[in-house]
Amino acid sequence: MAGRQKKQQRPSAPQLDISAPRSTRRAGKWTALLLTCFILALIYLGYTLISKAPSYMAKSGKTTYGKVLDRDGDVLFDGSQPLTNYPPGQFADIGNLIGDTSGQMSNTIVAKHLEELANYSFTYGNEAGDATIHTTLSHRANKTVYNAFGDKNGAAIAYNWKTGEILVCVSRPCVDIAQGYADLESMPSGSLLCKAFFPTVPGSTQKVSTLIAAYEAAGVTGVNALEYTCEGSWVNPNGDAINCHQAYGHGTQNLQQAFENSCNPYFAQLVQSGIAPLSSIIGTYTRMGYAVNGQKADAMDLDGITINPASTKLSDLNNFETEWGALGQGKTLVSPYQLMLWQGAIANGTGSAVRPYLVKSRTTPTGENVELAVQRQTPQMFSAQAAQAVREVETLNSTHHYYVSFDVYSCGCKSGTAQVNDGGREYENSLLAGFCLDDRAPVAFCILIEERQSWDITTAQLARILLDAVSGIS
Amino acid sequence: MDLTPLFEQYPFLREAATAFVVIFVDICALVILLAAGRERRRGDRGWAQEGRGYMLACEGTLYPLGAAEILIGRHPSADIRFPDTEVSRFHALLCLSGGKWQIEDIGAQNGVLVNGRRITKPCTLHQNDAIQIGKHRMTVVKGTGKGVVA
Amino acid sequence: MTKTKPISHPFLLLLVLIAHAAMMILVALSFGITAEVVKLACIVLTADFIGSIILQFVQREACTVDTVLLLVIGMSTIYQSCFGGLEFALKHFAFGVGAFLMCQASYLVTRNPYRAERMKPLWYALFFGLVAAIRFLTGSRSMWIDLGFITIQPSEFVKPVFVLICASSIRTQLKKSSFLGIHFVPDNLLLIFCTGVIAVLQWWCRDLGSLPTFLAVAGFAFLLRFCYLREKISARLMVFLILCAVAAAVFAWKAAPAYVQERLHSDIWADMSGTGYQQVKALTAIAEGGWFGKGAGNGSLIHVAASRTDIVFSTICEEWGLFTGMMTVILVLFLPASILTVPPRSYYHSGLAVGVAAVFMVQMTLNIFGSCNLIPFTGVTIPFISQGGSSMLASGILAGFLKAAQAPVLTDRSTAKGGA
Repeated sequence: MAGRQKKQQRPSAPQLDISAPRSTRRAGKWTALLLTCFILALIYLGYTLISKAPSYMAKSGKTTYGKVLDRDGDVLFDGSQPLTNYPPGQFADIGNLIGDTSGQMSNTIVAKHLEELANYSFTYGNEAGDATIHTTLSHRANKTVYNAFGDKNGAAIAYNWKTGEILVCVSRPCVDIAQGYADLESMPSGSLLCKAFFPTVPGSTQKVSTLIAAYEAAGVTGVNALEYTCEGSWVNPNGDAINCHQAYGHGTQNLQQAFENSCNPYFAQLVQSGIAPLSSIIGTYTRMGYAVNGQKADAMDLDGITINPASTKLSDLNNFETEWGALGQGKTLVSPYQLMLWQGAIANGTGSAVRPYLVKSRTTPTGENVELAVQRQTPQMFSAQAAQAVREVETLNSTHHYYVSFDVYSCGCKSGTAQVNDGGREYENSLLAGFCLDDRAPVAFCILIEERQSWDITTAQLARILLDAVSGIS
Repeated sequence: MDLTPLFEQYPFLREAATAFVVIFVDICALVILLAAGRERRRGDRGWAQEGRGYMLACEGTLYPLGAAEILIGRHPSADIRFPDTEVSRFHALLCLSGGKWQIEDIGAQNGVLVNGRRITKPCTLHQNDAIQIGKHRMTVVKGTGKGVVA
Repeated sequence: MTKTKPISHPFLLLLVLIAHAAMMILVALSFGITAEVVKLACIVLTADFIGSIILQFVQREACTVDTVLLLVIGMSTIYQSCFGGLEFALKHFAFGVGAFLMCQASYLVTRNPYRAERMKPLWYALFFGLVAAIRFLTGSRSMWIDLGFITIQPSEFVKPVFVLICASSIRTQLKKSSFLGIHFVPDNLLLIFCTGVIAVLQWWCRDLGSLPTFLAVAGFAFLLRFCYLREKISARLMVFLILCAVAAAVFAWKAAPAYVQERLHSDIWADMSGTGYQQVKALTAIAEGGWFGKGAGNGSLIHVAASRTDIVFSTICEEWGLFTGMMTVILVLFLPASILTVPPRSYYHSGLAVGVAAVFMVQMTLNIFGSCNLIPFTGVTIPFISQGGSSMLASGILAGFLKAAQAPVLTDRSTAKGGA
């Protein structure tokens, strides 16, 4: 052909390459990308469906539920058969803590672990077997403490401050889940909630927090040397009077004496003196978990159960409300659980408690054991020095005033009397927060007896019963 | 025929049979996927015949003609790209139709030369035809293999 | 074009037969060997046989698409016949056959990319015709045209037409016009206009379920065109585009009508008998089904609304198990995946293939992940699996495009004449 180029003479024809040009290859790339995304999403979907299937079954009520057991294997809840099959009173003491599947209570172990309790597995369906949740509670000790309340209402909670296991958690009045909810209207109020988790007026047990705040700000020796005079009543700079329960006054006391006397004027003066500046008190309280002045504090979580944080109002050290709050009255509210937690951090002398837990492990319907408890520390709430100093003060308090009650146990504690104004009805609650250092019963506890009269059982007596009940549990 | 009594007697039988059959169905479906590899070879052979096994040889490089439209130009997304200014961004379009490759000038400033002649309308290419685009000279060559009939 | 030896059709079709036969054994395990079971088996297996004969002697190209189509349509006929008790799903089967034929028809129309591209004015006319039909013929914003004996959903047929519009050849992309000094490609401009029209129409119809499908198809079409005609997408342009997309998504989120807002924010488990009813039932059904299902016909989800369409994935999973449900979904994916094995050999076909992949995958995503509560629940169908004639036929047409991309015929009358 005319004009044909000098042929590039090749010894043989080249190997044919027919790969598509990039303009059309692009289609394959986009399709591959789409497919990859879709397949990945599909894998995620499969994983979600399989892992959430027990929850779907539980939420739509298409499965039966397994058992909740205490640390010795005693049944606390059984979803596989009518609860009336159990002896009467079996669930009387733990109804508002463990709960049931009726949906009446939402902040309970069962309600928060429906998924784990479902007798369902994706592979074996509803015939899988029995799901079980193993708790750290001692049902025997719990019943003993529950019965010890007699006809009084209140709460008691205790945990092993070395391991974090909650051994006793009682809240009276308590619904008996075996009886059902037919007479819901006639049930005493508070039957459906566990008071150990609800903030209440702490009374003088608050002085522990105030003391910690003072130690944090001014050091242990400085605070221990402080002396103030109590004349039965003390008038603050604004002209408001803070009265002592001892009408004639305690005279001049040092800290240890004032703590043991639970002297309001002393602690009011301690707060007002400014030895611990307001910002320092607020800082310590916030670290301890208080929601100060309406600020948001994180709700605490105990195996899914929500515990509302303590709260208080601190505006001005000369202000009556602030001082009154630092004495555990007025706007201050703390749950027994949190009082117990601080005692745990005091007992171990570090200022950081082992986090309590209630659910130890679970057995899946297919028989697999899953450990759920993780031993974790709380954040540093206060310094180790403060913790050790308070432990010293509390131990002396216990030795001097509660020797009769605690006897063989080496304990530390702080009592409190809370003036509660419940919608116009005024009454006094009795509280005791403390710890036991003995290896027999290394527990931190908090006891609340509502409307205690002088002839009723004392918190210290109840604490002794509790210690005896949990003694030897390891 | 009712198989229910049999299953009631041996409850695991139904589960086992179900699992077996389901897995079997799925394996059948997957085998079809494996067959796609053969489909690919078939497609390649088909294209090699359709496109007559032509490629463009240019300064020692072989450019495959793997689609019905091949854009030659300076533009970064051109299939055959010459990054010098004598080549227009969109210079020439190679087009396969009815088993014939045609080259077309798509508004190139310096034109497209086939066998030394500047083309004004689409021009059918044959083996050993020389194409000049800017200073680049290309030759239409025929590859072997993949089912090309020489 | 010389015929090459096709891969062993009988072998593939034997596999389809075996798969369907195995499924029928499963059906027989549940129902016993009754007349109805035999009827279903005969129909499905005979259809496979006839289909294979058609493919063997009439249409030998691109057998992957056809084989998968036969397999999937047969499977879905068996599924639909067994839901909640055995009753041959005649209508579904008939539309399945229709979809298979539609696939062949649309293959014949689009296998020549030059011709399909030249017919673009027709596609535009069809598009606007269908849009007008939706706007003026459907009853009270419902998307359905009631013809008395049958109701058709024109919006389903808009999908394949829209895909045809979205695909484009290099030649078309090179045709530039200029107006007031701005250069533009008329075809791109028209596509933007069509996308706008369909978006407004969907908004007007309160049927936002299919909007993502159209937007995805248009998006991928522009992605292919952009990449071609602009320089390579620079990082800045990419970021700009992503920001635009995010802004549009946020705007759509905020501006969405109340009933959409409700779906976006609702917790299905909080309202198990109200808005979350279908999803709660669907999820529970999957959980009850487990890996291998309760057995054909033993499901209870059939009593829930849209069990054969919007939550069909769960219905399959309940009766046949999650394993089979997932497998069915992946089987449908084989269709768009087929272009990965045999790459399209023309720009127009590659546009078609990506459009089909986008339609199939977006629809499946919305349906499956929506019914499983991972994304808001919308009423769209899974191609070939969900009940619904219009959707079935439209999916058949789309599958034909894929087949065309696999076995193109490249003869262009207009350019062939100009040979030197």
